[in-house]
Amino acid sequence: MSGERTKLDPFRDIIGLDLPPDRLEELVAQYADILAAIARLRELDLTEVHPAVVFRPLQNAEEGA
Amino acid sequence: MSGSPLYCTLAELAPDIRAGRLSPVRLVEEALERIRLHDGALKSIVHVSDSALAAARQAEEDIAAGDWRGPLHGIPIILKDNYLTADMPTRAGTEAQELEFPYLDSGVAVRLREAGAVLLAKARMHEFGWGTATPPARNPWDLDRTPGGSSGGSAAAVAAGFCIAATGTDTGGSIRIPASLCGLVGLKPTFGRVSRAGTVPHSWSLDHAGPITRSAADAAALLDVLAVHDPADPGSADVPAPDCSAALDRPVRGLRLGVIRNYFFEEIQPDVGAAVEEAIGDLACLGMSVTEVEVPNLGYGLGAIFAIELASSAAYHDRSITEGRTREFQPDVRALVEIGRMVTGPDYIKAEQFRRVLMRDFARILEEVDVIVTPTTPLTAWRVGEIMVEVGSRPESALAASWRLTYPFNLTGLPAVSLPCGFDRLGLPIGLQIAGRPFEEALVLRVAHAYETSRDWRERRAPV
Repeated sequence: MSGERTKLDPFRDIIGLDLPPDRLEELVAQYADILAAIARLRELDLTEVHPAVVFRPLQNAEEGA
Repeated sequence: MSGSPLYCTLAELAPDIRAGRLSPVRLVEEALERIRLHDGALKSIVHVSDSALAAARQAEEDIAAGDWRGPLHGIPIILKDNYLTADMPTRAGTEAQELEFPYLDSGVAVRLREAGAVLLAKARMHEFGWGTATPPARNPWDLDRTPGGSSGGSAAAVAAGFCIAATGTDTGGSIRIPASLCGLVGLKPTFGRVSRAGTVPHSWSLDHAGPITRSAADAAALLDVLAVHDPADPGSADVPAPDCSAALDRPVRGLRLGVIRNYFFEEIQPDVGAAVEEAIGDLACLGMSVTEVEVPNLGYGLGAIFAIELASSAAYHDRSITEGRTREFQPDVRALVEIGRMVTGPDYIKAEQFRRVLMRDFARILEEVDVIVTPTTPLTAWRVGEIMVEVGSRPESALAASWRLTYPFNLTGLPAVSLPCGFDRLGLPIGLQIAGRPFEEALVLRVAHAYETSRDWRERRAPV
């Protein structure tokens, strides 16, 4: 039915590309293996750990874009 | 010196070049001839420089006039095709016609030219550094097999005697994997040690630039030239660079060797395991103490490197994605770049948090030991087109297996070198990986050099 959202639409929104359904399905399937590895990472409690990337205003301003 | 000088090391060549006994012009001519004769089968080169012979003549004149600039002067070196060069096109492995890269020298190219090296050619790589197989390049040890990747063309070219050394880049193992599979030395320096200015990015916080050579001493000589702070690379570290070459011959007796038994020795081919165990025994015979250690949390690394690499690559190619240029990418690379947009913000940040955990884990270990040894890859070179391989007790994707033991050192940024430690029952090279504390490349290379000179693996040549 026209205008009805499918289960793939959230992925289309995230990817930001108007891909045909079969192409999108292919990408989602391929991402499943990667997501399984990322899901394992999600198991870790890293609440108290600062990310390795550190924002340094002075240094970043000097480096510019 | 016997045989072709193109199979010699810098330490063997430099005195003869300096003394005028070996002509850089003849060396470059011989390299060009070998490329002409053999690269049809090897497919390791994507562009040969029109100005290499002129550079060799200039080097010869300068050396004759007494202006010898050091061990790289007059030496033919090949660059991976993601290093920008002023006199050669750069494609970063892509055939996407709408993408153009400037004719400028990368930081590494600048340093090599200043040292008098002759930049001979650009080496084939997998598109934008994705993947570890580098099609269609072949392995000089067996033309039916892959040289690894993504710096596969660079390693194949050195192993085939097309040049004395080559450059590679390493985001998850792309210098060390092809070095291991092609029987060479591949050095991934500490993150920030060598400038990436003017290299086409793949993943900014994981990308490293470094050399692929025939010996640890040659890797040290190249690092001595390349290890310079470069403000043009925001990741470049302003730390003093030691004289790695001068430190090579210091004894290794008394140094502490760490063997991480968990993760790095699980699921590896038996021949690989046996060769690495023998190498550990050899290092013990050289007077190093051996300690078995454990690094927790390594099993979480795959999710972390996927999140960072995919998200970074998707960000770098953002304009190409939205403007439709990714249609010209290889299908697998296009898919990876597009699914990078599916990595969530929290997953990316969590990966960066995990890196700090892993860095702390390794820092603790590296208080107890001076260097760590592991296999470089759990398998030797696999057949071109082979998707699944037998590694240890189970079948595994060749691509997944190939970087399993190298990417922890991209997440941590620690220096790591791969060097030959034997051959499997098919005669294919096996790599030993030695890693150390941040910016201690001199120590890592010293241990590599001590092991290398205790064995004769380097004497064997690929049949091409």
